[in-house]
Amino acid sequence: MKKSVFRMLALVLSAALVLGACTRGGGGDGGAGSTDGTGQTETVTLKVIMEEVPDTDIVMGMLDEFNQAHPNIRLDIEALPYDQMRDKIVASFLAPRATYDLIVVDNPWMYDFASAGYLEPLDDRIQQAGDAYNYEDFAKPLRDIAEVDGKVYGIPFYNYALGLIYRTDLFEEQGLQAPKTLDELMDAARKLKSGDRAGIAMTPQRGYKVFEEWGNWLFAAGGAIQDEAGNIVLDSPQAREALTKYIQTYKEAAPANSLNWAFDEALRATAGGQAAMMLSYNWMLPTLNNPDGPAGELAGKFGLAEVPGGKAVLGAWFWSIPANSNNKDAAWTFVHWLTSPEQDKQRVIAGGAPVRDSVMDDPQVHEQGFGKDYYATVKEILKDASPLGDGPGAEEMIQAVGLELSAAVSGQKSVDQAIADAAKQAREIMSK
Amino acid sequence: MNDRSVDTAKRPFSRLFPYEWRMMTPLLAVMVIILAYPIVYSAWLSFRNVDLTRPGRDAFAGFDQYAAVLKQPLYWTALTNTFIFVAVAVTLELILGMALAVSLKKQKRFRNLTRAILLTPMFVTPIAVGLMFRFLLNNQLGLVPAILQKLGISIDFFSADLALLSLALIDVWQWTPFMMLMLLAGLENLPEEPHEAAYVDGANAWQTFIRVTVPMMKPIILVAVLIRALDALKVFEYVYAITRGGPGSATETLQFFVYKIGFGYYRLSEAAAVSWTVVILVMAVLVLSLWRTTRGRSA
Repeated sequence: MKKSVFRMLALVLSAALVLGACTRGGGGDGGAGSTDGTGQTETVTLKVIMEEVPDTDIVMGMLDEFNQAHPNIRLDIEALPYDQMRDKIVASFLAPRATYDLIVVDNPWMYDFASAGYLEPLDDRIQQAGDAYNYEDFAKPLRDIAEVDGKVYGIPFYNYALGLIYRTDLFEEQGLQAPKTLDELMDAARKLKSGDRAGIAMTPQRGYKVFEEWGNWLFAAGGAIQDEAGNIVLDSPQAREALTKYIQTYKEAAPANSLNWAFDEALRATAGGQAAMMLSYNWMLPTLNNPDGPAGELAGKFGLAEVPGGKAVLGAWFWSIPANSNNKDAAWTFVHWLTSPEQDKQRVIAGGAPVRDSVMDDPQVHEQGFGKDYYATVKEILKDASPLGDGPGAEEMIQAVGLELSAAVSGQKSVDQAIADAAKQAREIMSK
Repeated sequence: MNDRSVDTAKRPFSRLFPYEWRMMTPLLAVMVIILAYPIVYSAWLSFRNVDLTRPGRDAFAGFDQYAAVLKQPLYWTALTNTFIFVAVAVTLELILGMALAVSLKKQKRFRNLTRAILLTPMFVTPIAVGLMFRFLLNNQLGLVPAILQKLGISIDFFSADLALLSLALIDVWQWTPFMMLMLLAGLENLPEEPHEAAYVDGANAWQTFIRVTVPMMKPIILVAVLIRALDALKVFEYVYAITRGGPGSATETLQFFVYKIGFGYYRLSEAAAVSWTVVILVMAVLVLSLWRTTRGRSA
């Protein structure tokens, strides 16, 4: 008996060790297989890192067409979940030989990556591309993010600006219009709450999520995160008002016990008819209105409006070429091809989130895409939109402010205290 | 004098190192590569100022990183949270594990089957357990809140007050079997005579357990608690999968704090400094408790 117990113990322990080793080793095999392409006759293989999202699938679907035009450039796209991307990108920056020849960059990373010298400035290439490329056609708030100290380091890939997604049928029932101010939003949320259904699904999860949502409330209250010169101006009466109203609405009209909710939960609640509104990415509308999508029978009953107040929190992805990329010219050839007005139109028709004004105005896009109203609203949203952080340490500033906001929503800190602490930390971080 | 030094220089490798040492060289080499090097490197990092997104600032920084870390209120919150987590989780695991071990020892039929079933939680990757409970405890689709709602109870498992406790309970769910296994192995090896003597003396089951079983089990309990505590100190997956340290800083734990600084903000030196404060603390606790047991054994 004794022996068998020990044998079992040994077995269990070794199994646990093996399992542990597997989980730890799981993420790290991506960089090994990069080929240098010298063996083949002039064919260049671009190693690209992208996020596991529908917009990436759309780009993958366009590769055949690209290869017809440029048969000697092959793309090896590695699609990863968001959380793993940044580590791999930074590791590639620091490696003697870059792992990735082309990367996508999220807006909070742009300043730090560019100012550290990890990204290739694209101004000359954009200039050479000329009028046909029409760089000015990209929505201005998007171009502003990619410009660091007067140089351009990224080409807009797709936007994730926030909009208000709401149930048109419920709004009609109650005789409501899409809210234009914070008070109208709160009023609508209160009126639309009934029984199992929440007035608005919110995302108060600590960190990026709560800040991304509350930022719209801040803008609507007339506040700002940074002034023109980049100084933090978070500790304003408007910020306190916005946070007070945000917390009040969370308590009155959000689903019960949803302090920990993020994008997935809010989407599920709205798609399942358990919430009448949510502040979410504008391109969720087509997904929700797709009869084969997550909303099922409710598809077609969702509408998109600008966030109350009209100024939205802006997120966006950009194409950037690492400074240590092995194939800069080939990488640019691909980016240039994909983001040119003609191809960008094809990408948007296939369901990609728009970035070019001309594409959003294009009747062909309206017809083959999701209708004129949708693109007109997105264009309006993109006209006045601002990212959460612009400058050094934006990512850390967002996390720090997100922590304070979450502390206030969960009742660990008073509104005044949380705003004061958030502003203080944001200042410290951005002046480091 | 001269003769001897020449002699040493000429002495072949095999005579300089005894046979046992030579047999150990492969293992020692591996340990140096995979253990010593990273540890020394992280110590070196902690005295510099390495920031991956600000490459120009790397320089010797003395104890600046440590001073900066100790000044952060969030560091102390993380430390407190981690110790509460470890204390709650390991205590519950010890109690439940002991109860299970004692009852399993008495079991007559289907012993292997029940043991195998009870061990299954250990085989699930912690990140999967985290995700599983994120959904199980989710107010909107979770099984647990749904059942509680039928009984008229509404609990927010991830509120500011309960989130840390919820994470500790998830740890209990996953790691009680480990505790049970260790304790069961100990119980199976206890001599029968003291128990028989206690029975003859008329002690009841509880008295026997407290006065006879537990004192004899002490070394095993200590080892089991130490292993579990060190493991629980590393809690990361549940935090990462479920709360991301929130709400507020209610579930900010040390490992998550280090992860955030090192891989979120790329301040590798600061992250290394935090890690080293943890290492020093753990070493102190470990040395102290092991020293006490060895002293107890020799006395």
